[in-house]
Amino acid sequence: MSVVALSELLGATVRDASGTVRGRVREIAVTPQDHPTRIAYLIVKTPDGERILPPDTLMSAGASVRTATEMSQWDRFSPSDGLLLLKRDLLDQQIIDVHGRKVVRVNDVEIESTPVNRHLLLNVVAVDVGARGAIRRLSKGLVPSFTLRALLEKIPPRVIPWQFVDLLETDPARRVKLKIAYEGLAKLHPADIADIVEDLAPAEREAVFETIDEEVAAEALEEIDPGIQVSIVESLDKDRVADIVEEMDPDAAADLLGDLTEAQSGEILEEMRPAERREVTQLLEFGEHTAAGRMTTEYIAVSETAVVDDAIEALKGFEGSREALATIYLTGAGQKLVGSVPLVKIAISSPAIQLSELSEPHIACAPDTPQDEVAALFDKYNLITLAVVDEHGRLAGIITADDVITMLRHR
Amino acid sequence: MSLLKSWRVRIALVLAVVGPGFITASVDNDAGGIATYSVAGAQFGYTLLWTMIPITVALVVIQEMSSRMGAVTGKGLSDLIREEFGFRATFLLMIALVVTNFGNVVSEFAGVASSFELFGVSKYIVVPVAAFIVWGIVVHGTYSTVEKVFLSASGFYVAYIVSGVLAHPDWKAAALSTLTRPESIGFRNYGYLSMVIGLAGTTIAPWMQFYLQASIVEKGVTARQYSTSRLDVIVGCLFAAIVAWFIVVACAATLHSAGKFNIETGADAAQALRPLAGDYAYLLFAAGLFNASLFAASILPISTAYAVCEGLGLESGLDKRFEEAPAFYWLYTALIVFGAGVVLVPHFPLFRVMVLSQVANGVLLPFVLVFVLLLINDAELMGKHINSRWYNVVSWVTAGTMIVLTIAMVIAQARE
Repeated sequence: MSVVALSELLGATVRDASGTVRGRVREIAVTPQDHPTRIAYLIVKTPDGERILPPDTLMSAGASVRTATEMSQWDRFSPSDGLLLLKRDLLDQQIIDVHGRKVVRVNDVEIESTPVNRHLLLNVVAVDVGARGAIRRLSKGLVPSFTLRALLEKIPPRVIPWQFVDLLETDPARRVKLKIAYEGLAKLHPADIADIVEDLAPAEREAVFETIDEEVAAEALEEIDPGIQVSIVESLDKDRVADIVEEMDPDAAADLLGDLTEAQSGEILEEMRPAERREVTQLLEFGEHTAAGRMTTEYIAVSETAVVDDAIEALKGFEGSREALATIYLTGAGQKLVGSVPLVKIAISSPAIQLSELSEPHIACAPDTPQDEVAALFDKYNLITLAVVDEHGRLAGIITADDVITMLRHR
Repeated sequence: MSLLKSWRVRIALVLAVVGPGFITASVDNDAGGIATYSVAGAQFGYTLLWTMIPITVALVVIQEMSSRMGAVTGKGLSDLIREEFGFRATFLLMIALVVTNFGNVVSEFAGVASSFELFGVSKYIVVPVAAFIVWGIVVHGTYSTVEKVFLSASGFYVAYIVSGVLAHPDWKAAALSTLTRPESIGFRNYGYLSMVIGLAGTTIAPWMQFYLQASIVEKGVTARQYSTSRLDVIVGCLFAAIVAWFIVVACAATLHSAGKFNIETGADAAQALRPLAGDYAYLLFAAGLFNASLFAASILPISTAYAVCEGLGLESGLDKRFEEAPAFYWLYTALIVFGAGVVLVPHFPLFRVMVLSQVANGVLLPFVLVFVLLLINDAELMGKHINSRWYNVVSWVTAGTMIVLTIAMVIAQARE
């Protein structure tokens, strides 16, 4: 078993069974439909057009390639969409390093060559993103290959194992054929996904957001810089955007729609489910820089007569963000806010205790409170959440501390 | 009320036009630019004005291509070169770009030194301070604020236009040399040839292609909103070209006609502003040169570091910490430290180096241009936004001409 670099294989001379040079390696193809890592064939440029050479006919593969067959047995190459061509699609391109959580550029590709019954099995094992691949490619053809190999041994490798590589492909049809689903990316923290997406070109951002799960897309989109948010949303289909926006926090969704033109946000709202649409529309009516513009309408409120157990039931059924869970609000007649109970108190109290006994004097602000005053309230009372009440004292929404931090950083 | 309104409209119009293209064009008239145009006017009078129209046409075409490529692909120029032409070609081009841009950084700090020389302030004080300021405003993220100061101070160039008019130049001669074919005798002369290359190189500097495309991408301009950016680019280029023309004319009318053919210091070059500012010419020139130098000095090293790191696939970006992107920060810091350091060598020929760095720009230009042209005609990359035939003609002729001029310059130098 040995590892050979893509850049060594490319341009290598190909000899047939008789030992005659018949051509040079031009490309290396993987068909992800059949096998995710196995090399399907080498594409050889011969004087008689391009031919393909599957690894199971190879005797050796390195700086020169030796096959056990005659050229007349080599099939002609015909291009197809389902091929992952290592030179064209991978070498020098950007990929997502799922393990390192960043976008990197491929300097070389490592291919493992395993001898099986007098022929070879070739597998893509890793991409090289470090100095070793860079120097190999710089000095190829200028330094004798054995000297080069000795020199490269001394450079510590920086490789990403193939299973941690997510390819970037902007053509949706090809994405399906190459089985690119951004599974690795989607498992990352939304904030990391956002950082990675910000480093990509617009078409690639679009590709990621077309592919990944709506819920993940929604959380990641919330973390992305507003300017880039808008350009992503503009590039996607309206119904796809609506699906993602439905999954977003209503306040983040409202902020996003507020940044779009009225025609655009109208189209998106139209595609949304009525319940989510209503919530977002309400928030959209408030100024962005006021308490109401910053608040979310997904919070937990229970009746003032409820007990701890009721609060726990409400928690179980809650679908909003985790930040909003920090406080349970108590409402009286006509949805009037009467108290608030921190989550901690509920966790340490027995199920039958009346919530009103645990209630603390609640701090609240009006919908039109400027955001600077909101921040001041959080600071003064050391809040995690802040209730927003309308002129009748009814609970309209809550603001969470993470939104305040975002707001302060973007000032 | 209507007056207020019309002012508002005007300001809005101005701001709408001031985009990446206009900023790039303003930075284009940097220390090297002012020096080269001044020396061209002083040494050759009106005779080099013929270069201005072809250079302007080429500038508009080339800058438009860079911004179009940025808008359509959403990627920087060095990214695209790497993806389409592989590691080795990118590496060689990046080396050439670093060397050339280093020359430009040196020339910016030479500009700083030269401007304060007029007040008798030692370069050993002002250059390190300027280097520190440049390093600080970029790393501490205050650049976007400072950019507005630089931009408004770029209004200084209007001084050259006014001074050019007040100097009573020989309008007829100036217009004639702008519009007519040059005499071929100059093309065997090394000084003449290097000046033509320098004029092209300073006006269409290779770093501008990288910087403009990166700015377009950064701003998030897409193919759909591209028409506004095109206007921005064209207006910027025309502004830069008009200023360049007037610097040459002002220097020709004041210095050349007075028999002062050689510019060695800022004091010599400042004479061109005498018709406008009289004894204050020094002050005006110094302030303008200082602003132009510092403006470009804050852009060049960082834009070089971005281009190189992106092309070679190294971590880059001011949002990264030093340990995350060491190559980026080292390259950026080294360009400033050594760029400023070289200027501190005793008896450093400030003006000569400012001009020479622009000649180096002119020599590198065709190579960058070939990459740009191959990329922008790639239908797989650009779709329906590939070049029209006339764009290709202008650009290939520009690239070819620059190569021929460079060869002619080398031959002429060998003969002398």
